[in-house]
Amino acid sequence: MALTEDEVIQILKLVEQSSFDELRLETGDLKLVVRKRGCVGAVTEVNPTPASPATAYAVPAREAENKVVKTTPGKGSNTEAAAEQEGLVPIKAPMLGMTYRRPAPESPPYVEAGSYVKEDDTVCLIEVMKVFTAVKAGVRGRIEKILIESNMMVEYGQPLFLVKPDEGPP
Amino acid sequence: MMNISRIFIANRGEIAVRIIKACKALGVEAILAVSEADRESMAAKMADRVVCIGPPRAQESYLKIDTIVTAARATGSQAIHPGYGFLAEHPDLPRICNENGVTFIGPPEHCIREMGNKLLARKLVKGYGIPVIPGSEKARDVKEAIDLAQDIGFPVILKAAAGGGGRGIKIVKEPLELTTTFETAAAEARAAFGDDVLYLEKYIPSARHIEVQILGDSQGNVIHLGERDCSLQRRYQKVIEEAPAPTLPDTLREEIHAAAVTIAGNIGYQNAGTVEFIFDREAQKFYFLEMNTRVQVEHPVTEMISGIDIVQEQIRIAAGEPLSVTQSMVKLSGHAIECRLTAEAPERAFAPSPGKITEWILPHGPGIRIDTHCYEGYSVPPYYDSLLAKVITAGKNRMEAIDRMKYAIEHFVIRGVDTVIPFLLYILTRDEYKEGNVHTKWLEGVLEQIYPDRFDSKGERDGGD
Repeated sequence: MALTEDEVIQILKLVEQSSFDELRLETGDLKLVVRKRGCVGAVTEVNPTPASPATAYAVPAREAENKVVKTTPGKGSNTEAAAEQEGLVPIKAPMLGMTYRRPAPESPPYVEAGSYVKEDDTVCLIEVMKVFTAVKAGVRGRIEKILIESNMMVEYGQPLFLVKPDEGPP
Repeated sequence: MMNISRIFIANRGEIAVRIIKACKALGVEAILAVSEADRESMAAKMADRVVCIGPPRAQESYLKIDTIVTAARATGSQAIHPGYGFLAEHPDLPRICNENGVTFIGPPEHCIREMGNKLLARKLVKGYGIPVIPGSEKARDVKEAIDLAQDIGFPVILKAAAGGGGRGIKIVKEPLELTTTFETAAAEARAAFGDDVLYLEKYIPSARHIEVQILGDSQGNVIHLGERDCSLQRRYQKVIEEAPAPTLPDTLREEIHAAAVTIAGNIGYQNAGTVEFIFDREAQKFYFLEMNTRVQVEHPVTEMISGIDIVQEQIRIAAGEPLSVTQSMVKLSGHAIECRLTAEAPERAFAPSPGKITEWILPHGPGIRIDTHCYEGYSVPPYYDSLLAKVITAGKNRMEAIDRMKYAIEHFVIRGVDTVIPFLLYILTRDEYKEGNVHTKWLEGVLEQIYPDRFDSKGERDGGD
């Protein structure tokens, strides 16, 4: 089974509009892999296997950086370089885990853009196997940018928020 | 392979590179865990994606089971490859993998537990009718230890049940020594393994370390890929390994293979593993030593003489595939040797020598294989082991393999860090080595001759394999 050009474009549009990161479609002798965000590339391969039912499985987007490349978010990423230029201080993940922006599903998030934080304020939670750790701001100032959502994996050292720090003594 | 299309690699260094190569060959994506110190590693450059799991210290990164399994799941990886060392033989890793729907690329959890307790392993193996080193059960206190030791006959070795890989071992030559050593050994075992159970074995002075590579699949097939001789050791750390074992009578060779398969089959072993034996040169008898329930550092020498890619097999087995060969299809030919090229200074009692590699030129030629993660400009971090590269050579016979190894080591240029290259070259030229006439204490004897004042042959060092 071959896809027409229109069908490929349709698939690309659907993937782009979805919250999915990646689509892998394997049917008969066709294998199509579509990745988002800087790695968009439809790869059609002929796979000489006997006809089998179509299997399409997608990987839900979980991270802010959903490029399947070798860079890691903590270092040399555009975010950090740009942030330094503007004098913004990143709050970094003290561990790898799943993020929670709210203490409980019905509660408001710990912080929003524009929130004022002090060093000991909790800005979010990171969870590993049901063990939750509160991430402290570690800096005093205003949250300029939120780099995460809830329920996404962040790596050790990954910037979570950008803070415009206060100047001078409290 | 539909089952596994993305693997999370929970290791570093040369084995991470090795696993990535196997992934690429199988068309499987490789997601690599790195500590902050390994962001610029060769494996990181090769992986499809890199996930930073913690700061440099292994305790806070490569040894964190929850973090690793969480990262594997969150990256959509179906399986975790633990490599060797770190968590490879930690029974909680497969357990937590199972609880979280991630496939562990290795044996069933119970195999790791059973073979991980060296005392239990001895008992099981004895029950299968395989000779084990004459020894004791658990020694509860000094008095009992002395009685047991006298039954066995001095000299004896005091071992930690939760140890293995040469750790938690003390040689005791006489009863008085046992009095002082017992408490120290128990305390060290408690600190290192969280378990202070000790037992005793007869010390066999002129021994060779012969081990057998095992592969098992989920359909109950268990085969061996021949044996390796790893007698060249320094403080229980292997330095040079080879396959097959030289100067071993063929009947004994077959017996050792059969023993290994019996053991693996009886415990329901799956995936890659190695059964280690001590060969008493004087008595010409072999005894079960322990089983390593993981892929080993020296697996390449077996690959070179069998033509089988052991890491690819590991992945295939974990994906539920049967072994790619039956025992009768396994043909071993030629001879292969591996030298562990480490960043250590032999003249300073093998002190580790981390630092930046300023020059790095690999040897090339027929029958030369280099497994490494290093490159020119790479900074060897101080937080982990000192292995820079494994230099592997193969030839149609042992002499050719040795000649190629001498050539390879001579033409391997490494500057910026101290290495054991001069020391390796020295060993390769010794008559005893060329004759295959070595035993597990031979290398240390040689070192004492070269560095009489500096070298301390007592004590142990951390490490696996």
